Amino acid sequence: MSKNVEELRSIDEINEKIRRGDVVVLTAEEMIKLVESSGIEIAAKEVDVVTTGTFGAMCSSGVFLNFGHSDPPIKMTKCWLNDVPVYKGLAAVDGYLGATSLSETRGFEYGGGHVIEDLVSGKEVVLRAESYGTDCYPRRHIETVITIDDLNQAILVNPRNCYQRYDAATNSSDRVLYTYMGTLLPNYGNITFSGAGQLNPLCKDPNYETIGLGTRIFLGGGIGYIIGEGTQHSPKSGYGTLMVKGDLKQMNSRYLRGASFYRYGTTLYVGVGIPIPILNMRVAKTAALKDEDIIVNIRDYAAPTRPDLRPIVKKVSYAELRSGKVFLGDREVPSSSLSSYRMAREIAETLKKWILEGTFFLTKPIEPLPRQREFKPLKIRGKELRVGDVMNRNVVTAKPSDDIKSVASKLVEKGIDHLPVTDDEGRLIGIVTSWDLAKALAQNKRRLEEIMTKKVITAFEKESVDVVARRMARYNISGVPVVDKLNHVIGILTTDDISRKVVGGGRVTP
Amino acid sequence: MKVKLIYSRGVVEKPILADIVLKTNVLINILEAKVNAQKGELVVSIPATGDKLKEVLSLFKEAGVQVQEFVETLRINWDKCMACGACISPCPTRALSFKEDWTLGFDEEKCVACGICATVCPVKAITMP
Repeated sequence: MSKNVEELRSIDEINEKIRRGDVVVLTAEEMIKLVESSGIEIAAKEVDVVTTGTFGAMCSSGVFLNFGHSDPPIKMTKCWLNDVPVYKGLAAVDGYLGATSLSETRGFEYGGGHVIEDLVSGKEVVLRAESYGTDCYPRRHIETVITIDDLNQAILVNPRNCYQRYDAATNSSDRVLYTYMGTLLPNYGNITFSGAGQLNPLCKDPNYETIGLGTRIFLGGGIGYIIGEGTQHSPKSGYGTLMVKGDLKQMNSRYLRGASFYRYGTTLYVGVGIPIPILNMRVAKTAALKDEDIIVNIRDYAAPTRPDLRPIVKKVSYAELRSGKVFLGDREVPSSSLSSYRMAREIAETLKKWILEGTFFLTKPIEPLPRQREFKPLKIRGKELRVGDVMNRNVVTAKPSDDIKSVASKLVEKGIDHLPVTDDEGRLIGIVTSWDLAKALAQNKRRLEEIMTKKVITAFEKESVDVVARRMARYNISGVPVVDKLNHVIGILTTDDISRKVVGGGRVTP
Repeated sequence: MKVKLIYSRGVVEKPILADIVLKTNVLINILEAKVNAQKGELVVSIPATGDKLKEVLSLFKEAGVQVQEFVETLRINWDKCMACGACISPCPTRALSFKEDWTLGFDEEKCVACGICATVCPVKAITMP
């Protein structure tokens, strides 16, 4: 790739300058300013390294731990740190603690991310483990207190960090959504986004000319390395990711923060900084990309679909998102980040300082990262239960002008609880339940239109029963009319239908 | 000035606020309201100073409404705050914002102590007193 571009300097030359003490390092923000004031030619000639930084919630983070052997020893088959489950499908006293693992006693309040922060802070953590006992590992139970100093190894290995950029989130529905993108207020009440934009490492070398396997980086306040592409790496579409590792014992809790998103779960805020050596003009140009140049989608999280199928509401730049307000149509909607720009800046500045002080040298990647990768969705094989499989197609409906007494006898006669109300073309305009009729009787109402619920929760035939069941539970209702695209009633789905026809796992019973 | 007005059962149904707005010509802005048959609580902003402000406050007191000055709205633990911004866009009155240096800014005057920031803060840096 770099063959047709003249090399300005090599990594060896840069390291020699770091040794001599005359290396020129700018943070990505400073590089942008220099390019604006002096032009790209001069900036590329003068600047050896541009430092980047990002500090955000990175759920795919965790730590490999080795506890050492007790006497008598134990082959831990289940293990907890402060009641947070540690993955134990490894050797006797090795474990992996993931950031999103939830405490069995404190739920959303405390999880793997918090344990990692507590370990890095030097706090005492309760270790509990169980085993079935073997001839070589006779112990069956252990409970003790440890600190990070007691561990033989604590190695942060994060399968997916440092997203190049990330789609922003909003909510078109009429209720508050609690998501990994924070709290999304109803009716496009706010927009949240993540990523440091112009400071984001992968935005500064989107062609992977300098970042690769073996690149030394700032990780959690210590030294780390890129150990490959991250999971869901999608470089072609501009959503690259990194897998990174580093020694947790060298890290700093300022740059590793356990966090919890309300009604979503726990995660870990990770600080990552990557040096970008200005090897050629092309890298100089990408290193100077601004928030204005980096575009993401705003997606509507109201749709209960796969992330990439969530409707795109608008395309915006990080500059617009960071301004604090985004226009959706003619409406000004407040926008704010979930990742910390201030911390990202601090990380880029710290990395710059390390390089200038001669304590951090750059590495040549052993192998480049893939520039082509497809991020595939998970296909569900076999039959998944849809509303159309379970709903009752012989739906009984009523008209708004119907007399309440005749409607009541219809319900009794058919043995049903829900009666969709339709107009002359069969389009849904309301619903009445047996409870509404009882109320009507008590209040002396006569016509259906006086008592029907006009705002009806509905379902489509092709929707998964699982999703609709969750919707019914959320609105505390026991049945939904099933409608087509034109709002014609084509069936009805009740909790009775679901419990009668479905047994765990979504299979149809004969 | 921002105050909390507490209506007891006896006065909850009277249009006291509207009455005072008409009498004083001060455009009192309701920031938050919780009203039921037993009692009501309004957080209002009164755009007046000096004698005018005194007049408004004494009219409320005469009408049997308890007036409470807003002492403390919320507490921010600045050592814990990462300046991530998660609390900013959910804030209904835009009392939270980024400062020039991307640290969190808080305008107590705008805050109605609704508490959503405390809920959404990922590191529990905000608490309600």
